[in-house]
Amino acid sequence: MDAGLFAQYVMNGLMLGMMYALVAVGFTLFFGVLDIIKFSHGDVLMVGAFTALATYIGLHALGIDSNWLNLVVMLVLATLAMALLGMAIARYLVMPLRSAPALNTLLITLMLGTVLRESVRLFYPQGANPKPFPALLPRSAIDIGEFNLRLDNVLMLCAGVLVIVGLQFLLNRTKLGLAIRAVAQDEETARIMGINFTAIVLITFAMGSGLAAFAGVMNGLYYNEINFGIGLYLGVIGFSAAIIGGLGSIYGAILGGFLFAGLQTAGTVMLPFASAYKDVFAFAVVIAIMAWRPTGLIREKISERV
Amino acid sequence: MAKNAPASLWPGVIALAIATAYLIALLAAEQQALIIALLVTGIASVIAAAWLGLLVSVTGSFADHEHALDGCAIIAALAMAAFFHENHFVLLLVITILLYSVATLGLNVQFGYAGVLNFAGASFFGIGAYTSAVLTAQTALPHLLVLLIGGFLAALTGSLLLLPVLRTRGHYAAVVTIAFALLFKTFLEVNDVLGGPQGLQVKGMNILGWSFNDNIEIGSISLSFYMNYFVVSLLLFVGVFVLVRRLERSWVGLNLDALRLDETAANCFGLDIVHWKITAFLIGNFIIGIAGALFGMVGGFVAPNNYTFADSLILVSILLLGGIGNPWGLVVATIIVVVVPEKLQTIQEYRFLLYALMVIAVLLFRPEGLLPRPVRRYFPGWRP
Amino acid sequence: MTNTAQRTAVAIAAVIFTFAAVSAEAKDKVKVGFIGPLTGGVSVNGLGGRNSADLAVRLRNANPNAKYEYELVVLDDECKPNVAVQVATKMAADKDIIAGATHYCSATAIATVDVYHKFGFPVIVWGAVLPDITYRNKYAEVHRVNGTMINQNDANAELISRLGYKSVAVIHDTTDYGKGHLEYFSKALDKIGKTKIVGTFGVTADQQDFTSELTKIKALNPDVIYFGGLTPIGVRIRSQMDKLGIKAVFDGTSGIVSDAYIQGLGPLAEGTLAFREGAPAEKLPGGKFFMDKYNAQKYDNPPEAYGAFAYAAMDMILDTIEQVGPDRKKVIAALGDVKNRDSIVGKITFDDHGQNTVPVVTKYVVQDGKFVEWFESEYESGKRKLPGQK
Repeated sequence: MDAGLFAQYVMNGLMLGMMYALVAVGFTLFFGVLDIIKFSHGDVLMVGAFTALATYIGLHALGIDSNWLNLVVMLVLATLAMALLGMAIARYLVMPLRSAPALNTLLITLMLGTVLRESVRLFYPQGANPKPFPALLPRSAIDIGEFNLRLDNVLMLCAGVLVIVGLQFLLNRTKLGLAIRAVAQDEETARIMGINFTAIVLITFAMGSGLAAFAGVMNGLYYNEINFGIGLYLGVIGFSAAIIGGLGSIYGAILGGFLFAGLQTAGTVMLPFASAYKDVFAFAVVIAIMAWRPTGLIREKISERV
Repeated sequence: MAKNAPASLWPGVIALAIATAYLIALLAAEQQALIIALLVTGIASVIAAAWLGLLVSVTGSFADHEHALDGCAIIAALAMAAFFHENHFVLLLVITILLYSVATLGLNVQFGYAGVLNFAGASFFGIGAYTSAVLTAQTALPHLLVLLIGGFLAALTGSLLLLPVLRTRGHYAAVVTIAFALLFKTFLEVNDVLGGPQGLQVKGMNILGWSFNDNIEIGSISLSFYMNYFVVSLLLFVGVFVLVRRLERSWVGLNLDALRLDETAANCFGLDIVHWKITAFLIGNFIIGIAGALFGMVGGFVAPNNYTFADSLILVSILLLGGIGNPWGLVVATIIVVVVPEKLQTIQEYRFLLYALMVIAVLLFRPEGLLPRPVRRYFPGWRP
Repeated sequence: MTNTAQRTAVAIAAVIFTFAAVSAEAKDKVKVGFIGPLTGGVSVNGLGGRNSADLAVRLRNANPNAKYEYELVVLDDECKPNVAVQVATKMAADKDIIAGATHYCSATAIATVDVYHKFGFPVIVWGAVLPDITYRNKYAEVHRVNGTMINQNDANAELISRLGYKSVAVIHDTTDYGKGHLEYFSKALDKIGKTKIVGTFGVTADQQDFTSELTKIKALNPDVIYFGGLTPIGVRIRSQMDKLGIKAVFDGTSGIVSDAYIQGLGPLAEGTLAFREGAPAEKLPGGKFFMDKYNAQKYDNPPEAYGAFAYAAMDMILDTIEQVGPDRKKVIAALGDVKNRDSIVGKITFDDHGQNTVPVVTKYVVQDGKFVEWFESEYESGKRKLPGQK
C-alpha cells in the first residue's frame, strides 16, 4: 500500500482510538469505585457536546469571535455542566441502588441515557437534526502524498494524550487519587481509614462525566457535526473497549479503545470486498478476546472468594 | 402468619377478573385523555391495594391455587380475544404480549434460574424470525416444523457463544452477549442475501391447508385472521409456561438455583457447573427462537432493526420489571412494556421519554421488580 | 373485600365509560391517516409533510360545503422499515380510517405495500421515490403523487457528463432506497457513456465515521462523489470529505434536498448538487396558494421538499371521499380513474400502477446557503465554478 495512504489510515485510526479511549476511561473509573456500569456515559458525552454547541451559539450572539476564547469557554462550561450532571446521576440514581443487583444500575443508567437522548431530541431547538459543530482549531493542512495531515487533528490528539496523562497523574500522584484507588480496592477499609466514601464517589463521577464532555467536544471538533444519536454508539463501543482492556484499569481502557479503533480500520483495509463488515469483524474479535482472556487483556486483580 | 389452612381462591380470581377487565378497557380506549386517566387509575389502585394489604391475600391465593388460577388466566385471555375478535390491531398486540412473554420466559431460564446473563435476547428472537422468513419462502417444510427449526437454530447459534460465556463472569459475560447483539444486527444489515436493512417478507402460517392469513367467517360472525395466530401463540405460551414452571420446581431448577446463588458452593457439592450453564443457556435460546419464529410469521416481515441491542434491552428490562425469576411477574411486565408505549402513540414524540422515566421510577422505588420471586416452594401448598 | 368490590365497580364503570365514549362519536366524522418520519434524522421532512397534510384537512373542515368532518390520524414510521410495518398494520387494521397519505422514506414505503394490499387500505405515497413501490406489484391500493428516482438520476447523469466529469465514486445507504439510486444512476451513466464509476461503497444508515471509506475514495481520486442516501449521513460524509481534504464535487439525490442539510453543514454545503422530481414549491401551479396558507397556520417547521406533495395527496384523498363516501373499496376504485386531475403540484394522472407521471426534474445546486435551481445559479452562468468544472 502507498505509504501516504497507510499514514492516513493510521491517523484515522488514532483519532477514533483516542475518542474510544476517552469514553472507555470513564467506564473504567465508574467501575473502579463502585463496581457498576454506567451506561448513560455515551449520552452524557452527547449532552456535553450539545452544551458546548449551545455555549458557542451564545458566545457568538454576544459577538465574541475569538476561536480560542470560544473553545476554552465551551470546554470549561461543558465539562462543569457534565461534572454536575454526573454527580447528580451518582447521587440520585446510582447510590440509592447500591444494594440492588448490578443489573439494576445498568438498566437505570441505560434508561437515563434514553431520557437524555430523547430530551435533547425534543427540547433542544430542532434537536432531531444533525447540527453543525464549529471548526475552532486552525485547519491548515500539509499534504504528504496521499496523506493529508491537519493541524487540528494533531492538536486534538495531543490534547487527548495530555488529558489522559493528567488523569493518570491525578490518580497515582495525588491524595485524591490515592483515596479513589483506596475506595476502588476496598470500600470498607477505605471508610475505616477515614475516607469520605460518598464524596469520593461523587468526585469520581464528576471526573468521568467531565471527561465525557471533553470527548464530546472533541467528537464535535473532529466530525464538525453532532446529533442526538452519537452517544449510544460511542457508549457501547467505549464499554466494549473498557471490558476488553480489563475493567478497572486505565491502561486497559486506553488499550481497548485503540485496539477497537485499530480493528475497525484494519477491517476496512483488509476486507476490501466488504468494508461494511468491519464492525462484524471488530465485534467478533471482541468475543474471541473474551473467550481467550475472560477478564480482559490487562487482568483485573481479583481473587476467587471461596 | 403460620396458618395452615390454604388461602382462599377468591381473591386471586377477583384480582384476575379486575385485571382482565382493566386491560380490555385499556386496549379498547382510544381517546388519549381516557387512556391517561385509565393508566393513572391503574397505578393508583395497585398502590392503594398494596397499601391496604389486599395484595397479600391475592399472592396467597395465587400460591395455593396455582393450577386453578392458571386455568382462569387462560379463560381470561380467551375472553379478551373474544371481546376483540374483529379488531386486528388489538389482537396483534395481545399476540405480541404472548410471544414476548414466551421469549422472556426463555431469558428467565437463563438469567433468573441459572444466572447466565444474556443481552442478545432480541438477536436469538431474530434468528427464529429470519429462519421462518427463509424457510417459508424457500422450502415447503411444514410450518410447525419451521418453528422448531427456528428454536433449534437459535440454540445452535447460541452454542457458538458458549465458550466465552462460560469462561466469563458478571460484566465480562455481559459484553460477550452485547458484542454478539451488535454483531448480529450489523451482519444482517450488511448481508444482502438476507435482505440487508430492507428486511424480508415472511409468508403467513399454513397448517394442513388452513391459511392463517385469511379472515374467518363463521355464520354471521367474522373473526380477524389474527385469531389463528392468537390460538397458536396462546398454546405456545401455555406450553412454555408449564415447562418453565416444571423446570423451576424440579431438581433441575434446584440445581440452577444453587448454581446462581453460589457457584463455588454448588461446585463443592458436586454440581457440574458447566453442564448446567450450557443446559440453561441452550434451553433459553431454544424457547426464544421458537417465539421469534412464530412472531416472524405473525408480523409477516423481518428487518435487522427489529432485533437491535435496544430490543434485547427491552427484553431484559421486562425481566427486571417483572421481578427476576417469577414467570407471573414477567407476564405483567410484558403487558406494561408492550401496551403502554403503544397506547401512548398519540403523544408520539414523548412516549420513549415517558417510558424511560417510568422504568427509572420502578427501579428506584421497587428495585426487586413488580412481583419479586417468592421463596422457593418445593410443592404447591408447602410453606416454610 | 369491600375494597376489591369497589374496584370491580370502577373497572366495570371504566369499560362502560369507554363504550359510551366510542358510541358518542358524531356520525359524519371520517378518519384519514398520515404516516411519515416524525422522529429521527429525517424528521424535518416528516413533520413538513405532516403539517401539509394537516393543512389539507383543516382547509377542508373549514369549508362549509364539505360533507364530512375529517380527523387526521398521524403515525410515525421513524424511517425504519420495521416500525413502518407496525404502524401501517395499525392504521390499515383500523376500519375507521378510510385512506392514508403515507411515507417519505422509500425503505419504509416498499416494506409496507404488502400490508396495505393485505388489508385493502388505499394509500397515496407522498415522498418516497423508489420505482418499485408502485411498479414491483400491481396493487390497486397503492398510488403515488410524486415521481420516481429514475428521472432524477437521468438528469443527474446528464449534468455531470455535460460538466465534463470523468470518474465518480458512489456511496449509497444499503436500504432499497440507496440501492435503487445506485442501480438507476449507473444505468443512466452507462447510457451516456462518458463517465465511469470507479468505486461503490455501501454504508449503513446509523454509521458515524466514514473516514475509512473516504480514505479509499481519496486513493481512487474521483471527480465526483455521488451519494444515494438521506440527509443525516449526507451531512456526515460531506463534512468528513473536507477533513480528509477531498476536493471532489458532492453530488446528492432528492434525499438531501432539505433545509436540514444546509443547516447541518453551513458553508461546506456550497456547491453540492441535488436533484428532485417536480418543480420547486414556489413555481408549482398552486405554489403560492399553498405557501400562503401554510404560513398562515404558523407551523413550527417549513413544508420542506415534499410538503406540497403531501398536501396534494391528502387533498386528493379528501376529494375522493367527498365524491364516493367513506368506503375503502369505492375510494380505491375512484383513485384508479384519476386522469388529468388539477392539484397544487400540477395535473395528476395515475397510470395502471397508480403512479403519477412527473416529467419535470429540478436540478439544484447549493449557493450561498440555499438550494438554487441550477439554470439560475452562478455555476451555470460560469460566475462560480464547481471543483474541476469545465
